[in-house]
Amino acid sequence: MSAAGDEEGGAAGATEPAGGLEVGGLAVWGDVTFGIPDRLRASYRTTTYFNTTPDEQMQRWLVVRPDGRVAAFAGKVEYGQGVRSGFAMEVADELRVPLEAVEVTLGDTDLVPWDLGTFGSGSTAYVGLQLRRAAATARRALLDIAADRLDLPASDLECADGRVMAAGDPARSLGYGELVAGAPHREEIPDGDVDLLGPGEFTVIGSERGRVDAIGRVTGGAVYSRDVLLPGLLYAAVLRPPSLGAELRSLDASAAERLPGVVRVVHEAAVEGHSALAAVLAESDEQAELAASVVQAEWEERPAQPSRWDVPQILLDSARDTMVTQEAGDAGAGLAAAATTFEGTYYIPYISIAPMEPRAAVARWEAAHLTGGAAGEQERLTVWAGTQRPFGIRAELAEHFGIAEARVRVIVPEIGGGFGGKSIYPLAVEAARLARAAGRPVRVALSRVEETQHSTFRPAALISIRSGVDAEGRLAAWEFTASHAGERALIGRRGSESPYTAPHVRVAVSSADSPLPVGSYRSLGAAVNHFAREAHVDEITAALGVDPVEWRRRHLEDPRYHHVLDEAARRFGWQPAVSGARPDGRGVGVAVGIDVGSYVALCVAVEVQGQEVRVERVSAAIDCGLTVNPDGVVNQVEGGIMQGLGGTLTEAIEFEGGVVLNPGFARYRVPRIHNTPRIDVSIVGDPTVRSTGAGELGIVPIAAAVANAVYDATGQRIRELPLQRQLQPVAGA
Amino acid sequence: MPTLRVNGEQREAPLAARGLLSYLRFDLGLTGTKYGCGEGLCGACTVLVDGQPLRACMTSVGAVAGGDVTTVEGLAPGAQSLEELHPVQRVFVEETAMQCGYCIPGFVMSTVALLQREPHPSREQVQEALGEHVCRCGTYVRILRAVERASEPAGEPARGGGAS
Repeated sequence: MSAAGDEEGGAAGATEPAGGLEVGGLAVWGDVTFGIPDRLRASYRTTTYFNTTPDEQMQRWLVVRPDGRVAAFAGKVEYGQGVRSGFAMEVADELRVPLEAVEVTLGDTDLVPWDLGTFGSGSTAYVGLQLRRAAATARRALLDIAADRLDLPASDLECADGRVMAAGDPARSLGYGELVAGAPHREEIPDGDVDLLGPGEFTVIGSERGRVDAIGRVTGGAVYSRDVLLPGLLYAAVLRPPSLGAELRSLDASAAERLPGVVRVVHEAAVEGHSALAAVLAESDEQAELAASVVQAEWEERPAQPSRWDVPQILLDSARDTMVTQEAGDAGAGLAAAATTFEGTYYIPYISIAPMEPRAAVARWEAAHLTGGAAGEQERLTVWAGTQRPFGIRAELAEHFGIAEARVRVIVPEIGGGFGGKSIYPLAVEAARLARAAGRPVRVALSRVEETQHSTFRPAALISIRSGVDAEGRLAAWEFTASHAGERALIGRRGSESPYTAPHVRVAVSSADSPLPVGSYRSLGAAVNHFAREAHVDEITAALGVDPVEWRRRHLEDPRYHHVLDEAARRFGWQPAVSGARPDGRGVGVAVGIDVGSYVALCVAVEVQGQEVRVERVSAAIDCGLTVNPDGVVNQVEGGIMQGLGGTLTEAIEFEGGVVLNPGFARYRVPRIHNTPRIDVSIVGDPTVRSTGAGELGIVPIAAAVANAVYDATGQRIRELPLQRQLQPVAGA
Repeated sequence: MPTLRVNGEQREAPLAARGLLSYLRFDLGLTGTKYGCGEGLCGACTVLVDGQPLRACMTSVGAVAGGDVTTVEGLAPGAQSLEELHPVQRVFVEETAMQCGYCIPGFVMSTVALLQREPHPSREQVQEALGEHVCRCGTYVRILRAVERASEPAGEPARGGGAS
């Protein structure tokens, strides 16, 4: 299917009538905030970009149609994490229908239950569970309808393969479609416990099913936001500031307006709350770009902006809003009394999110008479945007134009990578402003350079650790002091706590000024904090002459840590040794981690030649509780490791005067196929434990594991990322 | 007006200077070929021109005039099921060699070209052919496995297993 002229941008289920009127079929409705802890609900509303609030009304989660097919609805979006497949598996299993019978509609604000956004590995943990509850509610209702029709008690019936049948007499059966044909049924998910399948009853959950949306990804049929093309579409070339914070002072577009294909040049001055917007609108992308290049724009740039070299000092000098995330005993006294103390300062620069698909948005306004609205009703706005936060973007649009959210529809097509960065999506409002000005649908799309320059970055951080051990080599004191760039304090706090038993602990995390805009990136600060902590632990073990796996075993209490550490070491074939004892160009390293409630351990083997670190092998063991889609989890862990190798070895944003100096793939080197180690991933989770996220597990410990292996290989203790920049050339193994 | 064949169909392009990527995506609606960087550095826009892989973002319609262009949509037109896919597309599905999938059409096209040239490539040949493609989700382990599977002599069982 080509996207050209496809009115609905390929969004699955887009032919569904809005509003959820069911003609026949069984619809299951429920609350949208199920399972989300109260403390999180409160923070949702106090953090800057969480501007959307849960809908108080019941929402439709699931429909069993008269043709026997099942439609599931969720406000999450698919950007590669395989959430569509996981949801389909959960619904298919719980409802006892073939996987192929389930269609999942995601991220279309007219069709799906309200959702805060797709981040923090909340999809399977909360929404997947809610869909299972919806499916179990439907199964219960189908059993009751069938009991009536078959004149048997429901307890004598069972569900399998989309049918309800008499136990022991499959000839007496009714298909789900037959059961729900006729008058519509509506069920509500009960507030309390729902009778969910137990681990021994799963037939789809936990099995190897691949991706339900794989074929479109190899045929070109999958439609991403950049692929949404509407009849009458205008292409925009937006004038972007030449440096951070630059403001448009004046504009002369007379030459541009005379060029072929140019429909108009929009220049909206800044008004309260809304920044200025200037763009050329043309019949083709190239006409718009050419015309934009001859627009004479005068920008007022911010004077004297800091450069990348200033960042460590800024982090040190401007640290504030310190939060103690963990405290026990008296760290200062513990350090003073320790037999041996250690000290290290770790620096992690800004890195770019760099998803493969630079952001794009298409907006269309329609008058009421085109949408069948009542006379006098106002126009409606539809925006296609590859955002991780469709409901938040809907709120932004409604607020910007002063219209009700009900008049705004945000449709999220496939997303070409997000990793947290696409929560922020100013292109949606831009496209809508331009479409309103032009009276035609408008497409705005960023170039690769723009995607980098006008994005958010993973915050730089400076972390100092002081530790002390007693005469027996046991950890006696741990003091972790971190300063993360930016005002979003939650980023830096994540993953800062130490899992190692010690009588005296103090972990303090501060915010600091940030010369670059910062935002979410896979695991927030957890990968950053873990790098410092796990690298520092390696320094302790090397100095003590203790095997780093053994030292961790002695200091970890939580059995889930032990399971992943033991399994990773076993799969890797870890030989107990002291790190860095014989630097010969080859080395091994280990690190453990936790994020979003899931556990991970990595063992890595590296070879160092000259200034190049080759990561040859990674053994990962992870525990995310009940694993719904094992291959999906393995894919996520492998991907997190690969992506993490970039920030570990080569990636760092260079900037000066508010300009990113390495915005393209030429100078911002991300991992390529020849950087791929052998990776094996073991899943050791307990299926009776509730599912937690798997998206962050690969990236969280990888930098430390590799840094520790580099020390083992070379004797060089590198406390700054990316490692290859700091590495002194060494002769090969 | 330059003429060219696109997925077997004769086309007349209005402008020789039109970028090939924009022409394919916006004029013909063949949006399976992706924009990733605009500098020929990520491979997402790879198409075949007379069987050779080419970065569509770095060339114009005029430069490929008279040529035979194949996009990802042209490998197995209309395919809806695993069985109908081109063998290279099929192994990518079978190995779930994808996450977001945005880069995958480019990897598929370069793999098709590689296997036409060298049906049983070495690991080094695969890495060279795909070395200038970026998958930011990091599915390289699976892509390597898929290419390995596609290049196995017919009748031999898939090896599966690690990425080595």
